[in-house]
Amino acid sequence: MPNPVMQFQILSTQPDQTAAFYSELFGWSISDNNAMGYRQIATGAAEGIQGGIWPAPPGAPTFAQLFMAVDDVDAKAVAAQSLGAKLLIPPTTLPDGDAIAVLLDPQGMSFALWRRPA
Amino acid sequence: MAFRDRLINAFNDRRSANSKFSIRAMATLLNTDHATLSQILRGTRKVPVLHLRSWAKAIGLTTEETSIYIAAEQTPPLSTTRRESLYRQWATEGLALINDPTHWHIIRLTREPGFQADSRWLAAQANSTVDQVNMAFSRLLRLQLLTANAPDHWTETTGLKTFTQSEFQKLALSRIRKNNQGKPKCPTP
Repeated sequence: MPNPVMQFQILSTQPDQTAAFYSELFGWSISDNNAMGYRQIATGAAEGIQGGIWPAPPGAPTFAQLFMAVDDVDAKAVAAQSLGAKLLIPPTTLPDGDAIAVLLDPQGMSFALWRRPA
Repeated sequence: MAFRDRLINAFNDRRSANSKFSIRAMATLLNTDHATLSQILRGTRKVPVLHLRSWAKAIGLTTEETSIYIAAEQTPPLSTTRRESLYRQWATEGLALINDPTHWHIIRLTREPGFQADSRWLAAQANSTVDQVNMAFSRLLRLQLLTANAPDHWTETTGLKTFTQSEFQKLALSRIRKNNQGKPKCPTP
């Protein structure tokens, strides 16, 4: 299976303000009607990817992350580490059934592996 | 190109135009002594930051270029910056854990029979906000104090024999320190 970029995530020091800014600027709708209270972004366009907003860890600036779709989060996390990535958040199943792992690539950029709910 | 290279180029340019142009003449141009300049050109001595502006002017650099060289000289080396960044991250993460009991509440609640893997439910139980729950959730996963292997099932993995908030905090802080070791030394109390 190819591994497309499925989602972007903005990790914001001020998630509500970030949500307000982008929804005002681009007309994106943002809903947190899910188990994690995750601010999901629907851009309203068929093309491009959708996104979400998560609180940034303290001390970190606001930054963006890409989510790559994979069949097997565990296997791909191992493969990434064998290529020099560092595991930040081990493979985890979220309440809505999707699985993720977050890693730092060898150049220090964080990215996520993501598998849609089974 | 380092400032030293600019000095070397300036010297070479003058020497090309005048074969009698010496390091001593260059030192006079820069208002310094021959030995100092000689060591700098050989790379055995650093360019004195205090002289950088006047030397830059003497060899014809622009004010903007000079400012860049001064800033570069005054910027701490990358190794220092990385060490400071790890140190800051360690302190920030540690303070977040000390100041926000949401972490403990999540861990504690995973043992409760009515546990719900739902940030709003957790926020209500912990008297926290959903963002606090989600940040704590991320941190607990990073510290490997919690696993979530099924949508509705989280397991605390502290392995604590004495399951108390203070023992949990002690363990979590030691994990934070370990995670941020690259490695900042703990200041002596």
